[in-house]
Amino acid sequence: MLAMTTALAEFPSLVALSPQTLEATGLSLSRGGLRLVERLDLALAPSGALLLVGPNGTGKTTLLRALAGLVRPDAGAVAIGDQPAGQVAADTLGWLGHADGLKPNETLRHALRFWADMHGTPRTAILPLMRVMGIEALIDRPAGQLSRGQQRRAGLVRVALANRPLWLLDEPAGPLDGAGRDRLAELVAWHRSRGGGVIAATHQTLDWPGAAMLDLGMYR
Amino acid sequence: MSRLGAVFAREARLAWSGGGGPAGPAAFFLAAITLAPLAIGPSPELLAAAGPGLMGFAALLSVLQSAERLYGDDFSDGTLDLYALSPMGLSLLCLAKTLGQGIATLWPLPVIALLGGLMYGVPLQPSTMLAAALAAAIPALVLLAGFAGALAAGVRRSGLLIALIAAPMMVPVLIFAAGAGRAGFEGDERALANLVLTLAVSLGTIALAPFGIAAAVKSRLG
Repeated sequence: MLAMTTALAEFPSLVALSPQTLEATGLSLSRGGLRLVERLDLALAPSGALLLVGPNGTGKTTLLRALAGLVRPDAGAVAIGDQPAGQVAADTLGWLGHADGLKPNETLRHALRFWADMHGTPRTAILPLMRVMGIEALIDRPAGQLSRGQQRRAGLVRVALANRPLWLLDEPAGPLDGAGRDRLAELVAWHRSRGGGVIAATHQTLDWPGAAMLDLGMYR
Repeated sequence: MSRLGAVFAREARLAWSGGGGPAGPAAFFLAAITLAPLAIGPSPELLAAAGPGLMGFAALLSVLQSAERLYGDDFSDGTLDLYALSPMGLSLLCLAKTLGQGIATLWPLPVIALLGGLMYGVPLQPSTMLAAALAAAIPALVLLAGFAGALAAGVRRSGLLIALIAAPMMVPVLIFAAGAGRAGFEGDERALANLVLTLAVSLGTIALAPFGIAAAVKSRLG
């Protein structure tokens, strides 16, 4: 516990989050004519974590995209707080898709500055968060010269910079090494300590304390 | 910096550093107007008369040629997801993005058109009129190319689809912009009217196209 407190001290102080709940009711999703998820209910409370697991092709990514309002569900609805997700997603979600959203010719400094500006987060938060993810030395490298794991770390820094209460992460640990996964766990712990919630699709075993697990394989 | 300005600046910077910036469209435009006289023949009267129309046509093609990059890369690298989830309205964001990229890559076209006009034997005043009309046409051309690019984002060989969608929509701009240069060459006072009409089409496109682009982006992501 003591070690955790010291680790948390390295995080930048950002404007306090306004914690949100996320709730999906009766969600049915399909992709390419194939039904993936049938009448799914899920709920995430502030500070909660939910891991979506299941074999490839069971609809983890599609479910995340539906929760973000990017994909329209066949049936059912997603609510953030008491509003439809589609309306408030932009102000409440931190999104990490299967691609990191980095440009090969853009340095991390330029990219992260841009996203900090977009979300109204002070640029001074960039370096501390990069340090948390262990990529502060790469700040002037174009993203195209980084390894997949380093790009993933940069994507996670971008998510944290958005300073949004709900994080939706698609395979956040996919290309990460052991140390990277530990740093990811620390980042998520920090987010949850501020009242933020996380939903992550994953194949890795992520031992985030108190995380609920949803196996989408059951819905086939 | 406002969010609108941030998107505009980022897209201009990316266009500049990414795909060679203005070099691609400029080279294409330059090649087209240099090769055309070899096909048309050396008659000075013919070249001067054909110059303004040819220049407008070549400019349209060079906008189309670079349209694939507008939304295709953003679709595959996940940037479009992030833009769709950004706190700024998607239509406004698409406007800033398209104009930022368009202006960063297409600014040489009016300059080349001015020099090209003189090279074709068009007097200075109608050449300037043509360059001004092309400058006025660029927002409309690039937004229409952006609309087609957003509809075709993530489609294989999207260049073909973009040309088929965008080319018919670009007809009015082409007619007015080339018309301004042609009327100027003929000493017709309708040159100014054509220039103003080009500007009007551009303004109308700025007002309407962003909604179309945003809807196209949303449907491609879903």
